[in-house]
Amino acid sequence: MPDIAFLALSGLVIVSAIFALEARELIYGAVGLAFSLIGVAGLFILLGAEYLAMFQVSVYVGAVVVLILFTIMLVRRESGRILEEEEPGRLGRAGILVAGLVALAVAGAVLVLVPTYLEAPEFYRVPLRELGRLLASSYAVALVILGLLVGATVVGGLTLVRVEREEKTSGATQ
Amino acid sequence: MEPLSSYIILSSALLGIGIYGLVSKRNAIRLLFSVELIVNAANINFVAFARYANPPMLTGWNIVFFSIAAAAMEATVGLALILVAFRLNGTIDVRKLNRLRG
Repeated sequence: MPDIAFLALSGLVIVSAIFALEARELIYGAVGLAFSLIGVAGLFILLGAEYLAMFQVSVYVGAVVVLILFTIMLVRRESGRILEEEEPGRLGRAGILVAGLVALAVAGAVLVLVPTYLEAPEFYRVPLRELGRLLASSYAVALVILGLLVGATVVGGLTLVRVEREEKTSGATQ
Repeated sequence: MEPLSSYIILSSALLGIGIYGLVSKRNAIRLLFSVELIVNAANINFVAFARYANPPMLTGWNIVFFSIAAAAMEATVGLALILVAFRLNGTIDVRKLNRLRG
């Protein structure tokens, strides 16, 4: 039974990832990315980490994809034309070649090096209490640094996209 | 419960798709898609290895927690950079953003 779920979820992840990169419209590509990330969240549930799945859906699908959609709309409205790129076929073939080689190498190396006969415990749920205790003791410094990073990111992003009114008005008067 | 190798093959395939996008696409937003796919391939590996260790390792789940947060921030800054690049150059085709070329 979990086999069917795994097959369906991995199909969803792979197909919508390819769709995200190959869709003609960038907006549809963003929706494909959202479906791919939802599929990854489903895989997390299969692996017994429900809270990670919730985190994945709320942060990735809820925040990142929506942010990407906003950016696409902003860029498109300002340009007044659809952002579409025509890759030369040579580049696409080189990409497929490089990607296939790297994926094969990684998969082969990991499968050779890792003992895949390991049997997982049949049913396992992440002990949330234990995880929270770990996050507040061993990973406390990392958590604080993560918070500082979020703050720095917000400030940095706002600084980057700020439109400098003073310069514009002074440029207009000169 | 399917074997660990199926998760490894799936995440390698996702990594391959992401690298294909990075190599062959010219739109900066699609490059960002590719980076997100690669990060998710790594996250699948983390969770799968943590689950199949005996006993299961809590560290793997915690690392994915941090990884998702860091990837969200990376996407934020990347999108801000794309907006600025579009404002300055009128395009987000990375093959045309070559002002720094010597």
